[in-house]
Amino acid sequence: MMRGNRIFLTCFYWAFVLYVFIPLILMITMGFKDSKFIGFPIRSWTLDWYASVFSNTEILSTFGYSVTIAVLATLISVFVGTWIAVLLEGRKFWGRMVIMGLTVMPALVPGIISAIAFRIYARLLGIEPGMGAIVWSHAVHTVPFVALVVMARLSTLPKSQIEAARDLGADPLIAFVRITLPYLIPAIIGASIFCMLISFDDFVRSFFLGGYEPTLPVLIFAKLRSGMSPEINAIATVALVLTAAIGIWAERFTRRMNKDS
Amino acid sequence: MTLDTSTATDARSGDPKDGGRSVWARLATWTPYHAMMSLVTASPRRQFLILAIFPIIWVLTQHLGPMLQMLRVSLTDAYPVAPGVEQNLTLDNYARFFADSIFMMPFFRTLVYAAVFTFCTLIITYPVAYFLARHVSRKNQMLMLLLLLTPFWVGEIVRTYAIMILLGNTGALNLALKWLGLIEQPIPFMYTSFSMGVGVVYLTALYMLLPLYSALEKLPKSMNEAAADLGAGPWTRFRRVTLPMSIEGISSGCTLVFLISTGFYAVAVLLGGPSTTVFAETIAGFFHVAGDQWPTGAAFATIMFATALLITGVFQMIMKSLRKGDLT
Repeated sequence: MMRGNRIFLTCFYWAFVLYVFIPLILMITMGFKDSKFIGFPIRSWTLDWYASVFSNTEILSTFGYSVTIAVLATLISVFVGTWIAVLLEGRKFWGRMVIMGLTVMPALVPGIISAIAFRIYARLLGIEPGMGAIVWSHAVHTVPFVALVVMARLSTLPKSQIEAARDLGADPLIAFVRITLPYLIPAIIGASIFCMLISFDDFVRSFFLGGYEPTLPVLIFAKLRSGMSPEINAIATVALVLTAAIGIWAERFTRRMNKDS
Repeated sequence: MTLDTSTATDARSGDPKDGGRSVWARLATWTPYHAMMSLVTASPRRQFLILAIFPIIWVLTQHLGPMLQMLRVSLTDAYPVAPGVEQNLTLDNYARFFADSIFMMPFFRTLVYAAVFTFCTLIITYPVAYFLARHVSRKNQMLMLLLLLTPFWVGEIVRTYAIMILLGNTGALNLALKWLGLIEQPIPFMYTSFSMGVGVVYLTALYMLLPLYSALEKLPKSMNEAAADLGAGPWTRFRRVTLPMSIEGISSGCTLVFLISTGFYAVAVLLGGPSTTVFAETIAGFFHVAGDQWPTGAAFATIMFATALLITGVFQMIMKSLRKGDLT
C-alpha cells in the first residue's frame, strides 16, 4: 500500500512538472517556425523571427523601458521596505500590528483593483500616466515583499553585535550602517531581484498607468490582441530567458549567502 | 562577517591625531553630526519617533491612501471633476450595480470561477506538496521544489500566451488528441471557462504549493508513525493526522489564490470569450471610456474587493474552527 502510494505520488509530481514546463517549451519552439501561422505541426524552421526582433528598435527600446522602470521601482521599494522592516522587527509598540497589516496590504489586493486604485490615486497626486506613474505603482506594490524578506533576515541578527558596537561608542546610526546593513545585504539583494522581476513581469498596473509607450508585457498583450504571430514567441522567449536566468541566479545567490553567514 | 572594532575604540578615546582613523570615527566626532545625533537620540522616545515617522506616513498615504481615495471617488457623482461642475456625494454608483443583471452576472461568475479554480489548484498541488514534503530526502527537496519554481519567474502574459498555444484549435493538445485517434475535429478549448481555468491554475499553482509545502514539511513524521502503531490505516492517517495538520497551509494558500484569481484581467481577456466575461473586465471597461465613468468603476471595484475580503475572512474563520475542533 505504502509502495503503491509512493509510485502514484512520484508519477503525479512528474506529471505536474510536465504541466508546468510543456506550455513554455511549446511556446519557445513556436518561435522557430518558418510560417506566419501559429499552430502545429511545424514543418520548417527558421531564426528569422529572432533576427527581426533584434533589429527592431521599437522592441529593443521597450525592453530598455521595462528594465529602467524595474530598476527605479526597485530602488524606491528597497529603501522604503528596509526602513519599514527595521521599524517593525523586534520592537513592541502600540499599533505595530496595524502598521504590519498595512505594510503587506498592497501584495494582497487583487490585481485589477490595485491597478485602478493606483490610477485614481495617481490623478489625486497629479502624476500623469506614464513612466513616473508606473514606477510609483510598482514601488508601492513591491514594498511588502522587501519588508517581509528583510524582516526575516533581521530576526536572525545576533543582538550582541549591535550591543558591542554601542558599548564601543558607535551611535545608533553608525551601528546600523556598519553592523545591521552589511548583515542585511544578502536579503536586500535577493529582495531587489525579486522586485525587479515582479516589476518587469507586471502587466495590469503597467497597462492602466502607462502612457503611450508600452512596457514589454503591455506590448506583448497589444500584439496578441491583434493576432498571434511567431514574432511574439520570439519576443516572449527573449523575456523568458532573461527573467528565468536572473531568477535562478538570484535563488542560488541568496541561498549561498545565507549559508555563508 | 568581521567587525572592525578599532574604529569605534578610536572614536571613543577621541584620539587627537587624525592619521589612521576611519571615515566613521571622524564622522562620529564631527561636531555638526555629533550635535545632530545627540539631538535625535536625546531620549528613546524621540529616537523611536524619528525612526517611525517615515514608515507610518508611507503606509498611510501610499498603501492605504489609494484604497481610501477609491472609496471616496466611488461615492461621488463626477470624477475627475470638470471645471465649473459641483461634485456631489451619492450612492448611485452602487445602486447601478444592483439595478442591472448585466453587471450582476459577471460578478457572480467571477466569484464562482475564483472558488472553483482555487479548489482545482488545491486538488492539483496538494499531492505535489505532500510528495515533496514527505517522500523526498531533504537534499533533493530543495532541488525538486526549485525545478517547479523556475517557470514561475516568467511573467503572467508570457505564460498566458503559452496556454493559448497549448489549447488553440491547431494547438498541441488538439494535435496530440488527433494523433491518438481520439478526435476527428479539433475541440474548441479556447475562449471557454475551461481555457480560463487552465490559465488561472497555471498562473497561481505556486501560491498554493508553497504554503502547503511549508505546512506539510513541519509535520513531524513521528505523528504518522504513532497513528500507524495505534492501528490507523493509510486513509485514516491521512484524514485524521495529515489533513488537520496541514489546514493552516490550505487556509493561507486558498486565500491567496482566491484573491489573485478575482483580480485577473489579462487572462480573462486573452483566454476567455464573450460567455466568460468576468468582473475585472467590467471594471476595466469604465476606465477605457470617458472619465465620467470613473466613480462607477471605483464603486464596482470596492464591491468586488469587499466581497472578496468577506469571503476569505469567513473561509479563514471556518478553517480555524476546523483546526481547533480536530486537535482537541
